Amino acid sequence: MNELVVALGWAGLFSPMALGAIGSVIGCSVAGQAAIGAMVDTDSGYGRYIGVSVMPSSQVIYGIVIMFSLQRDVTPVTAPALFGIGLLSGLALLFSAMRQGQACASAIHASKTKPEIFGLSLAPAAIVEGFAVFAFVFALVLAGGIPG
Amino acid sequence: MAHSDRYAMLLSSLPYHGPLFGAKQTPLSRIRLNQRLALLDPVEADCLRHARRLLEWAQQEPDRTDAQAVVRAKQVIDGITNPFIRDLVTWRLEMRTLVAALRRRHRGESAPRDRRWGFGRWVGRIMQHWNEPAFGLERAIPWLPEAERLLRRGATVDLERLLLGAVWNHLESCSDGHYLDFEAVVIYVLRWDMIARWTTYDGAEAARRFDELVEQAMAGVEKSLRPSAAAPRPERT
Repeated sequence: MNELVVALGWAGLFSPMALGAIGSVIGCSVAGQAAIGAMVDTDSGYGRYIGVSVMPSSQVIYGIVIMFSLQRDVTPVTAPALFGIGLLSGLALLFSAMRQGQACASAIHASKTKPEIFGLSLAPAAIVEGFAVFAFVFALVLAGGIPG
Repeated sequence: MAHSDRYAMLLSSLPYHGPLFGAKQTPLSRIRLNQRLALLDPVEADCLRHARRLLEWAQQEPDRTDAQAVVRAKQVIDGITNPFIRDLVTWRLEMRTLVAALRRRHRGESAPRDRRWGFGRWVGRIMQHWNEPAFGLERAIPWLPEAERLLRRGATVDLERLLLGAVWNHLESCSDGHYLDFEAVVIYVLRWDMIARWTTYDGAEAARRFDELVEQAMAGVEKSLRPSAAAPRPERT
């Protein structure tokens, strides 16, 4: 039984990093495709499109930081907390990166037609980023309370 | 990866089309549109091609009877695997059935006797309510009474605007929830077809074509009159 608990602890420890990376891969690829499509249709503003398309990469960075903040001896005492915090924060990062990618793709699509709404079109993506930051910050706060 | 994200690149490469009636030309040429549509999955591209073949007037065979056209439409629709396109095409053909019924009645025809003249769910109802102005479908199809009124007045341009507007609005309502997926591509392409059709309407060209048809018809009349003109005139006594 203890072996299983320890194994789950290790899974939880690596979850924020792995799930954040998966989310960033999906989010950046969706927004990146939209950026490439917009570049085909327009004659300028390429840098802007690429800049927006990398917004979902922040989740993997948050995941790495959470993983290091959780890093400690994985024992039957610490493993349940590592599993719970790690897995749930990882899932939050995964979904936020995926959805942020879609929001960025829509922002690119919209601002291509109306460049004047570029800043405003990024608001939904920024709000999604805010939720990822919530998950990140409170995972760090809770990680401080895990013994070991 | 969510299926709905597959066409982010394709959709972003398509320029915004703007409103239908304000358009002076299509947002991109047919060649460029076809180049961009090459990014579609082959099965989905096939579905879209079948749908356009059924809906584009230029691809219709004028010599085909209504019954033959209905049979062909059913065959093509059965072959369309995407339910979204199938529903869209069915809706458009039902709309054409309604307009065809209005035109038949306007010409003074009586209610068709068999069901093979039209397509879709309204055929039976139209036959039953042939003498009602909007076939008793005012609630289900809000544009129908107005279409009937415009047809009766002979306002063909206004009627065309009404019908195109109804299709455009239907596509607008179908586009809800579709942003980066195949359905959004379908809606874009069908709208492109509508803009292409609307922007190629040309009053001068229509007048020239009308003159051409009149000349053709008159040439036939002259030919039929010629033998009698060539025949020896009876002598006056």
